[in-house]
Amino acid sequence: MSPYRPEFIAALELFAIVSEVVEQRGFLRPVLVGGAAVELYSASDIATGDFDLVTARQDIFEQALQANGFVKPSGPGKLTRGWIHPELKLGFEVVGSVLMDGRAERDRVKLIDTSAGDQFAVIAVEDLIADRMGQYASGSAPDMLGQAQVLFSLYQGEDSSYLDRRIREETDTKYGIADLQ
Amino acid sequence: MALQTSNSPRGISLASFGQSVARRREMLGDIAMPRNSGLRRTDSKIALLAAIENVGGSW
Repeated sequence: MSPYRPEFIAALELFAIVSEVVEQRGFLRPVLVGGAAVELYSASDIATGDFDLVTARQDIFEQALQANGFVKPSGPGKLTRGWIHPELKLGFEVVGSVLMDGRAERDRVKLIDTSAGDQFAVIAVEDLIADRMGQYASGSAPDMLGQAQVLFSLYQGEDSSYLDRRIREETDTKYGIADLQ
Repeated sequence: MALQTSNSPRGISLASFGQSVARRREMLGDIAMPRNSGLRRTDSKIALLAAIENVGGSW
């Protein structure tokens, strides 16, 4: 039995469909990052219906979104870069063009296949933990330490050397893997 | 210009991945993942979340 909510699975399946379009056009798949990636790696219900993606081909990605029922919110106070799917009641937003500004190793991105045979990409858990630690180190997101610690406890035994290096990079060497224990 | 790709290798199935996450959680016992505080949300993100809420999103 899946540990994920049906709405979350539906969103991931849709993300995979749209990702296929980008890949079929000859470009790297968009990468799922942020809170939805945390939910995927932890099966914790923390996503709020918005999915953050990184892709160098925002134009193709957004064309594919439109072709799959997404619309741009319009009206006063709706200045968002994101797109919503009114029926599935979720949103996707491109938050960057290069994964972690090029510091994350692209080969570590995890590929996941849906039951329909489509595929999507998600940031490596080490980079996700480092991202959370980077936000924590900024001083404006104390909650991110807790997320990083829970992810680390779930994924101990992954690449500790890479994880430690990435945390140090994202926190200007302020923190390392020892701060997760 | 984005890098061109060759045909992607197959990944792990979402079902298998979910099962592995469930096993990790089971081994760890109770865990409490803190939700995002929302303090770092951009204006764009705030507007997007409002739009999702307006269409009845209840995540």
